[in-house]
Amino acid sequence: MKLLSSFFDLKARGSQPAVKTRKPLTKGEKIRLASAVFGGKLIGLALIVGLMAIMGAFGGTTAHAGETYTPHETTFMNTANTIWTLVAAFLVFGMQAGFVMLEAGFARQKETVNVLMECIFDTCLCGFLFYGVGYAFMFSEGNGFIGLKWFFLQGTPDTYGTTGIPILAHWIFQFAFADTCSTITSGAMIGRTGFRGDILYSIGVTGFIYPIIGHWAWGPDGWLALMGSKDHFMPGLGQNFRDFAGSTVVHTIGGVVSLAGALALGPRLGRIFARDDKARGGMPAPHNLTVAAVGGFLLWFGWYGFNPGSTLSAMDMQGIGRVAANTTLAACSGGMAAMFMALWFGATKGKFDLGYSINGFLGGLVAITAPCYWVSPGGALLLGFIAGIIVWLGVNFIEWLRIDDPVGAVSVHGLCGIWGTLAIGLFACGKYGASGPTGADDSAPVAGLFYGGGPSVFIAQLIGSLVITLATFIVAFAMMKVIRLLPHPWNLRVEEKGETGPGGLDVFEHGIDAYPSQI
Amino acid sequence: MYKVEAFIRVHRLEAVRDALEEVDIIGLTVSDCRGTGRQKSTAHSFRGSQYSHSFEPRARIEVLTTESQVDSAVEAIQKAANTGEVGDGKIFVTKLETVVRIRTNERGESALP
Repeated sequence: MKLLSSFFDLKARGSQPAVKTRKPLTKGEKIRLASAVFGGKLIGLALIVGLMAIMGAFGGTTAHAGETYTPHETTFMNTANTIWTLVAAFLVFGMQAGFVMLEAGFARQKETVNVLMECIFDTCLCGFLFYGVGYAFMFSEGNGFIGLKWFFLQGTPDTYGTTGIPILAHWIFQFAFADTCSTITSGAMIGRTGFRGDILYSIGVTGFIYPIIGHWAWGPDGWLALMGSKDHFMPGLGQNFRDFAGSTVVHTIGGVVSLAGALALGPRLGRIFARDDKARGGMPAPHNLTVAAVGGFLLWFGWYGFNPGSTLSAMDMQGIGRVAANTTLAACSGGMAAMFMALWFGATKGKFDLGYSINGFLGGLVAITAPCYWVSPGGALLLGFIAGIIVWLGVNFIEWLRIDDPVGAVSVHGLCGIWGTLAIGLFACGKYGASGPTGADDSAPVAGLFYGGGPSVFIAQLIGSLVITLATFIVAFAMMKVIRLLPHPWNLRVEEKGETGPGGLDVFEHGIDAYPSQI
Repeated sequence: MYKVEAFIRVHRLEAVRDALEEVDIIGLTVSDCRGTGRQKSTAHSFRGSQYSHSFEPRARIEVLTTESQVDSAVEAIQKAANTGEVGDGKIFVTKLETVVRIRTNERGESALP
């Protein structure tokens, strides 16, 4: 107590007006100051030790060390898992900053405010929709195609399934995922989408396309999630469709919607494609590469919530460690591969291209998202490297098709998402099964073609990826086409003067430039 | 020798460049500029305030031509930069005393691009 009182005493002294000249401390004061600092440190230390003891008791790691568990054993709230999931959710939410910066940096200056505004609006809208219907469609029980309970988060249980995570913690984690998907979609549609058109298609994507198709793969009774099980779609195959953190569910859906949007919109006015004019064709110059590079790194950082957090379990220690390491390695090799592809081939030959390198490591991250739990670090390096090559090929192919994709969303999210999903069937190393709330359950390990597992996993992945890609494209393309037919200003594409007028899309839709002139 | 200086809408720049290339004028200087004229300025707004820039963004191009080229250059710019709306800009033609190519110290017409 004496320590405490001396501490408060000193604190009161410290708050005296700063105008007074400072007197040198007397010997007694010095002793009291030192003891207060030391005492404070002791109290802090005691708090940390106490917290660790309490968390250990709740988590049950020490008491149960060495025993094995079935995943369904726990129904109590699990402290460690809850905190882990929330931290991951916050990291995934941080990816919004990355997306907004990457897209703004790769865009032309006159469409920057529009990009920023779309990402912010999509995030706000996603909160409403995922609260109202999205979470219900995606994660509640219903049938294989759609969830039919928990609308407006009514009638939910305390925890999500057997995870030991409160339902709202799971909700915010999944909200961040849905938001990621909805932000990806704007990437290939930059520069010519009217804002009211954006509102309309965002409602479609976030409220319906993503959660309903996502339910197929991630819902508790999704038909792809259970397709190889008894009494389901293909019991003979014996393998369910797997997507650990969303290469297909988040990225392919986002990328494919983006492609549908870009096709329905057509290119930006005045856009010349590389195959039409070798000298002047190609992507218009980006307007801020510093912002784009920082945005890319923020996305990479956020991915450490995206993939490791998808265990929903902090007690699967081997799992989260492996996933985090695999995520890193795939990103590294993806960036490297794309850099070398750009150095050796195409219009960037001889140059170390920044844009391709950023898209390359993002492609690696997208590709590792589905298989991150089941592959070895070596496998992660290899499949990330292939993803980097796919990004390079994809960007060139999309340009050759005369589709205007300003940030490369179709290649990075669409194509690498498909590749990552299929890669489970090739690279799954046959050691790891599933993540569980109290630890890994490796009783039924997943083995891909390259690790002696036979083709069944690959076939399951191929079917799932194909089904989701096609279904998303058909629905999204129909939706975009319908919005494209509406009268202005609700049309998907902005009026011509919105693109060519003074200040471009930014001033037309939002009334201000990104960098307003000060004169 | 003439200097043709034109103030045009930014989004017509590529078209003007193509039109000048067609009449064999390859040298061109471009700069960002802002200005005001008869056109009403676009209203800007931000966080509850409306403000209007009295100066609109334009592109300024400068071209050097010989006497025989000047009319076709002016015509090319006028046609390519025209949208029919108030605010399409102006073209100024001035006679030049001399031109010097710095690299070779050539003077007069041989120093034109």
